[in-house]
Amino acid sequence: MRVNPLFSFKWFSAGLIWFWLGLFVLVPLLMLLTASFLQRGETEFVKFAFTLENYQRIFNPIYLDVFWNSFYLAAMTTLFCLLLGYPFAFLLARVTGKYKHLLLLFVIIPFWTSSLIRTYAMVIILKTNGVMNSFLQWLGLIQEPIQLLYTPAAVVVGLVYSLLPFMVLPLYATIEKLDIRLIEAAKDLGARNVRIFWSIIIPLTMPGIIAGSMLVFLPALGMFYIPDLLGGAKALLIGNLIQNQFLSARDWPFGAAVSIILVLVMSLLLVLYYFSILRNSNNRDKVGL
Amino acid sequence: MSLKRLSKISYMSLIYGFLYFPILILIIYSFNDSKYSFAWKGFTLNWYHQLFDNQELLEVALNSLMVAVVSASVATLIGTLTAVALYRYHFFGKKVLYGLIYILIMSPEIVMGISLLILFIALSMPLGFWTLLLSHITFCIPFVVITVFGRLSGFNKAIIEAAKDLGASEFATFRLVVLPMLMPAVIAGWLLSFTLSMDDVIISFFVTGPNFQLLPLKIYSMVKLGVKPEINALSTIMFIITLIIVIIAQSLLREKK
Amino acid sequence: MKKLLFMLLFALSTPSFAEEAKELNLYNWAEYLPKAVLDKFTQETGIKVNYATYDTNEVMYAKVKTLRGEGYDLVVPSNYYVSRMIRENMLTKLDLSKLSNFKNLDSKLLNQTYDPNNQFSVPYTWGTTGIGFNSKQIKMGAISKWADLWDIKYKNSLLMLDDMREVMGMGLKVLGYAANDTNEEHLNQAYEKLKELLPNIKMFYAESPKVMFLEGEVKSGMIWNGEAFIANRENADIQYVYPAEGVTLWVDNLVIPQGAKHLENAYKFINFILRPEIGKIIAEEIGYASPNLEVIKLLPKKVTENRIAYPSADDLKNAQLQQDVGDSLVLFEKYWQKLKVAAGKQ
Repeated sequence: MRVNPLFSFKWFSAGLIWFWLGLFVLVPLLMLLTASFLQRGETEFVKFAFTLENYQRIFNPIYLDVFWNSFYLAAMTTLFCLLLGYPFAFLLARVTGKYKHLLLLFVIIPFWTSSLIRTYAMVIILKTNGVMNSFLQWLGLIQEPIQLLYTPAAVVVGLVYSLLPFMVLPLYATIEKLDIRLIEAAKDLGARNVRIFWSIIIPLTMPGIIAGSMLVFLPALGMFYIPDLLGGAKALLIGNLIQNQFLSARDWPFGAAVSIILVLVMSLLLVLYYFSILRNSNNRDKVGL
Repeated sequence: MSLKRLSKISYMSLIYGFLYFPILILIIYSFNDSKYSFAWKGFTLNWYHQLFDNQELLEVALNSLMVAVVSASVATLIGTLTAVALYRYHFFGKKVLYGLIYILIMSPEIVMGISLLILFIALSMPLGFWTLLLSHITFCIPFVVITVFGRLSGFNKAIIEAAKDLGASEFATFRLVVLPMLMPAVIAGWLLSFTLSMDDVIISFFVTGPNFQLLPLKIYSMVKLGVKPEINALSTIMFIITLIIVIIAQSLLREKK
Repeated sequence: MKKLLFMLLFALSTPSFAEEAKELNLYNWAEYLPKAVLDKFTQETGIKVNYATYDTNEVMYAKVKTLRGEGYDLVVPSNYYVSRMIRENMLTKLDLSKLSNFKNLDSKLLNQTYDPNNQFSVPYTWGTTGIGFNSKQIKMGAISKWADLWDIKYKNSLLMLDDMREVMGMGLKVLGYAANDTNEEHLNQAYEKLKELLPNIKMFYAESPKVMFLEGEVKSGMIWNGEAFIANRENADIQYVYPAEGVTLWVDNLVIPQGAKHLENAYKFINFILRPEIGKIIAEEIGYASPNLEVIKLLPKKVTENRIAYPSADDLKNAQLQQDVGDSLVLFEKYWQKLKVAAGKQ
């Protein structure tokens, strides 16, 4: 017997995954989309009547501010991760010898470690009578403890701390594939370092930059517990807004509409990513790789 | 040592310091014999004793362990089959599926959390063990697929063809040829799913119910009540477990490279 | 594979196994019930208590709604949410004959407008929301009313409860309106007034405000009296003030959501809580005033004469009981959200 046509391995595997993702990813997303066009229910979760009001509300100055605030915080986080992570990934990719894997492992470990626990560790550091203040006082740099925790800066520090590995790993992957001969060739042709960096290295590592930025930017918008624990519930991120609509204000349709916006932002970034890969492979064709 | 090299090394150390210093502090303070002060008052295992005496916390930890083991196992099963199917066959929607899996890894957890909540409410499923399990399986699958698929890509297709030429059925080929070669990646996928499930806060936050609590959610509510040495001890244990699992997973993935 | 199957079966059997066990799903405010009481209850009855906590009425209400009642067997809403939940048919009518200890309760706290004849609710504790401050950092007498918090010298050093009704209510009171005012114009003014307070607010936090006072994160701010009582016991510098504009008054009540699965266990638990010796443990640990006359007899004079937990008639001058604002809650939400957004931009 070769293959039982009713129970072919191929159709079983493909069917199983499609069933699962269909039921637990696509259907829920469609429901989310539907809910975003419904009205808020008084006693039930939603009222089955079509409305665009939820999307219009997003353009209300209050909520535009929430979006603006959280995009700003997430963008700052992404920027800091990129600035800190890029040189680091570059150096890491250039390390040779037996310690390389160990060094890489030390980036991978925080990647998989609970970000809640890491955020909590940050609280210990930044508290008024915490490690950082005690240290600064011991050094004599400050007399009184200074305010570190419960500030927007603390939120950004916490987000950078949690998400830095998500930036480093994709950057590392693209930088490692970077062909060193290209740089050598450019140098031979007399290009200056700055020029080499901006017109060769950056474009070639663009897919990594975009992938890393996505992996930092999107979670940064959604990690509602970081502003809660480090920001004293003052900084309101989109994640807090969504969580609040579902778990406190009970306005599911509006929460759904905000989530859909988040999905759209993600799609936009994915399209960017896609084009950067396309362009990148074109570039490689041009230089004959 | 040249200045350039020195500055490179110090920059890298700085970043590693940033990544590990807070966790190190956390671990150190979990052994500090003082409830309130941050000054070092001597070594103690007191907080760990208290932790293991806390019946409720142990029960919650057991819940988490159970969800993590079952969801990692189911996700590994489905994820491995998917990776093999993606590698071996052409079928309807293959490219879309491949894209979908990548999108899932990138997509914000909060969106998955609330859309699953909406699904479970619409299906009138009571929130609790089952909803948590289904959700955890769902967010673990893509990571298994990626891990296993990564290993498959390095395979020599000829071996599989040879097995088929020798008359092995699809299933036999899978069981006798593909699976043994894949095993390290499968185990790594399982371990990574396990840590993902053990650590998840955001998705669980939405789909959890009244009579089934998970450890990260418990930690979250404890953390909101302020810094306490017991939490330091608990976090230290969680971190060490993750550390061990990730090291095993990584060494499995690197094997035979 | 066999192992996997076994594990699956194990997982399958557990929830149903848990169903048969004697269980009680209790949803209560954070820092509101000593663990010792839960342990005692389990020891005595064999009923396992699944205990979860929340930090605002709104979160509790949303959760009970989401679960359609079929989840928690016992929750502890404040009086203004009791009336709301009664109105929306969310509560089980109580059979008071099952509560032999009900007679211990102070009749002054029974038969209130939010639940005439206590058909749905049993008082758990009552208390006030006032101002706490650290007398090491702030002179005694410097703060005597809510409006004093607006002083620029308290820049970035105040705690506000992360509680919509408390904060909006304070804004209304400072302007001379009632805390339960539902006039949109007044709410808007309260929002504008509160916006001026933002530079002074270090954090919004409701789980356990005493921690932030004790750890020196804040110098002053809004606090519940029970939390202030405990803070004061641990550090005598932490003081509590009854603001001149009036404190906020509330009563938290045990209720059984409509659809609760473990009714009998819930009754047993309520009756257990109403026992004098159990009430005493609770009152001593959480610091709030007990509604139970038999408990008050057991407590030392030092406690029952402490004005933080047991205010004098004079302290309660101008006090206002929080009330359900009905559909106007949406307005409170709107301005609260606006305030939070403004806080994020600071």
